[in-house]
Amino acid sequence: MAILELKNVHTYYGNIHALKGINLTVEEGEVVTLIGSNGAGKTTTLRTIQGLLKPREGSIKLNGEELTKLPPHDVVKRGVSQSPEGRLVFPRMSVKENLEMGAFQRNDKDGIAADMEKVFGLFPRMKERINQRAGTLSGGEQQMLAMGRALMAKPRVLLLDEPSMGLAPILVDLIFDIIRELHRQKTTILLVEQNARIALSVADRGYVLETGEIVLSGNAKDLAHNPEVEAAYLGGKAH
Amino acid sequence: MKQKLLNNTEAIAIGFMAVLALVTGGWNTIVCAVIAGLLIGLSANQNRDGIIRAGVLGAIASIITAIMGYIFNSWVSTLPGVDNQAPDHLTAYPLILAVVIGTITSLVVAWIHSIHEEARRKQAFLIFMVVCAVIFPFFDQCPTLAWNGPISIANPTVGCTTSKALLWVNAVIVTMIFALQALGLNIVAGYAGLLDLGYVAFFAIGAYTMGFLNSDHLVAQDTFLKTQFGFWLVVWGSAAAAAFFGLLLGAPTLPLRGDYLAIVTLGFGEIIPIAAKNLAEVRIFEPISLFINQLFSKADAQSLDRMQNAEAFLKNTLCLIGCDPTRPFDFTAGTKGISPISPPVFGNILGIPKIYAFVNGDYIPWYFLALVLLAGSAFFIFRLRDSRVGRAWVSMREDELAANAMGIDIVRTKLLAFIIGAMFSGFAGAFYASYVSFIEPGSFAFDISVTVLAMVILGGTGNITGVILGAFITRVVDLVVLERLKQLINGITEKVFFSGIDNPALVQFVQSIADATAYKVMLFGLILVVMMKVRPQGLIPAETAAQKRKA
Ligand SMILES: Nc1ncnc2c1ncn2[C@@H]1O[C@H](COP(=O)(O)OP(=O)(O)O)[C@@H](O)[C@H]1O
Ligand SMILES: [Mg+2]
Repeated sequence: MAILELKNVHTYYGNIHALKGINLTVEEGEVVTLIGSNGAGKTTTLRTIQGLLKPREGSIKLNGEELTKLPPHDVVKRGVSQSPEGRLVFPRMSVKENLEMGAFQRNDKDGIAADMEKVFGLFPRMKERINQRAGTLSGGEQQMLAMGRALMAKPRVLLLDEPSMGLAPILVDLIFDIIRELHRQKTTILLVEQNARIALSVADRGYVLETGEIVLSGNAKDLAHNPEVEAAYLGGKAH
Repeated sequence: MKQKLLNNTEAIAIGFMAVLALVTGGWNTIVCAVIAGLLIGLSANQNRDGIIRAGVLGAIASIITAIMGYIFNSWVSTLPGVDNQAPDHLTAYPLILAVVIGTITSLVVAWIHSIHEEARRKQAFLIFMVVCAVIFPFFDQCPTLAWNGPISIANPTVGCTTSKALLWVNAVIVTMIFALQALGLNIVAGYAGLLDLGYVAFFAIGAYTMGFLNSDHLVAQDTFLKTQFGFWLVVWGSAAAAAFFGLLLGAPTLPLRGDYLAIVTLGFGEIIPIAAKNLAEVRIFEPISLFINQLFSKADAQSLDRMQNAEAFLKNTLCLIGCDPTRPFDFTAGTKGISPISPPVFGNILGIPKIYAFVNGDYIPWYFLALVLLAGSAFFIFRLRDSRVGRAWVSMREDELAANAMGIDIVRTKLLAFIIGAMFSGFAGAFYASYVSFIEPGSFAFDISVTVLAMVILGGTGNITGVILGAFITRVVDLVVLERLKQLINGITEKVFFSGIDNPALVQFVQSIADATAYKVMLFGLILVVMMKVRPQGLIPAETAAQKRKA
């Protein structure tokens, strides 16, 4: 059974039909990527999974348990956390406080402390800047913090929304090395990206989203060599 | 590069305190000199030169205030319409003391300010502020009192006897009540970012709860209430009642968009005083009691007939209040107000003998009670900020979407802030009712909501020290400066400009235009607008733990 399963999910912004029946699964330990151009509905999908937006139709299941009607704090409690688009760190809080906020729904002090050390192992830079205000970090560091913060929830499924956005290529590589490391550690990840090439390079499987609909899906390697995908997302046509 | 002679804080401190000394004079000159010294000391450089400079500047500022005090003593106090002054008020003693104490204050504060280790500096400040707060009311004893020989055990008030109304202590007690409210609104507006425009409603609910349960108003009527509950019990009841109404108001509104809360609270702030005004004649044969009666009497066909008969009716009615059907029940006393509301009593409960009872009009004990309550509340809120909900509030203010994604229940967290804020307002209202011993609907008008909001914004949304400072500036301007300025302007217009003109209508017209107190609401509105524009973070902006650690 898939750990995360979306069936025929429809989400609206008022009258705008943003998701038109999304079907998607993520297996335990898998990295699955959802690629698509700007405005395709990738962020909307992640927000719907987390309960930040309510789908009008369809179902979202975590390990067979229905998430669809749950508010975000209950979804987080059940093990879905995300590094949101644009990172959204708490600018006037310190790095440490940001990480602690990630564990807001947890009560196990020892577990939280252990996970904090794990995050510092993944992102040694965060440990160096532990008392620095998050707003004064660089873009790459903020992305690391946002990912670390999401990991502090001890998620069963980690949602990453465009971690490469606005970062210099060298930093993008650094972030994706960490995603590979998380994959090795068997973290289940749903990765949303516009940068299809690098996303498909770390993922096991991929879905292509176009104006609210999944138009292609399959093995990441196959997708990377699919002529349509090459033309639309990997070739000269940039976004 | 040319160095500025004075920095902004120093210039404002000297200027403002000079004006204050000019309109208050006498013993008040000492208070003015001390405040000037405090501000100068706080803005000094943290080294030896800074301390010396602060000492010199402090001496200059004190001398200026003393000169202003002298002008008050010799000229302003003789103007018609300015409050009558007791003879000792106008002697040279206070002026000499002002120079000495003002200079010492600036030196001491600058010295404390220069302590490098943060924990020790804070400790030293705390001790200094406590000492100031404790000796302050005894200086204020002097203004309207006769000189009564040297200090002694039997007469500890710096050579003055007590009795008459004091200029400052009363103003400061009222200020502390407002500061208590401002601390609560700071949770609502500063921590949770909610706009509450009817905050006075919770203040009124707290005050009326105190009025109902701790005066003879209901006891004297035929109700379930047979005796007063006493201040210490009712104060919690007031907080609980306000919190309950906060829940009632917030629960349906907070899930909606932000603007709705502003509208709903604005309306609620208007409704409560109107309800207090109109609930003075409640009759037992109202539709609601008819309905209850039917419910409890398992109404049959004849029960409606029975209701024509008062006695039979009452047998079946669950009578809590107003059980005499021939007489309307006076619930809130309407515009005539509830009075007297009993002051707090220590002891006299559970077999413990009465230890001490507060007396209305005897300000000093009230001052210390208010001080303890305010300090306790500030401490409580300070600790609250580092708690789990405190963290949730701060993160929500920083980024609501991210906070939501972290698993913070936004509606519940906001509701909690709204309720705790209401609770503080109710608490303050209870103290207020007992302190002034008289409440009427007019005491809970919209301008209180605006004033408290101005305090929070002026002081610095989210910062406890800032909010208390904002409360003090706003209230001292309101209760002392504007009032005295009005007297001064009236006195001058009457004595100087119109001394030869015999046209009372004209004099009155000019005086009513120049009435400084009439511009109060405009002034606070202006403060709100200017602060939002120029310094939205307030005088002392909120600092986060990250900043604290860096300091
Ligand atoms: N808050 C909103 N209100 C109305 N429409 C929105 C809102 N957010 C996104 N949309 C629309 O929904 C569609 C999907 O947006 P989004 O999920 O942000 O796309 P992506 O993340 O793939 O760039 C877009 O057409 C966008 O204009
Ligand atoms: Mg997006």
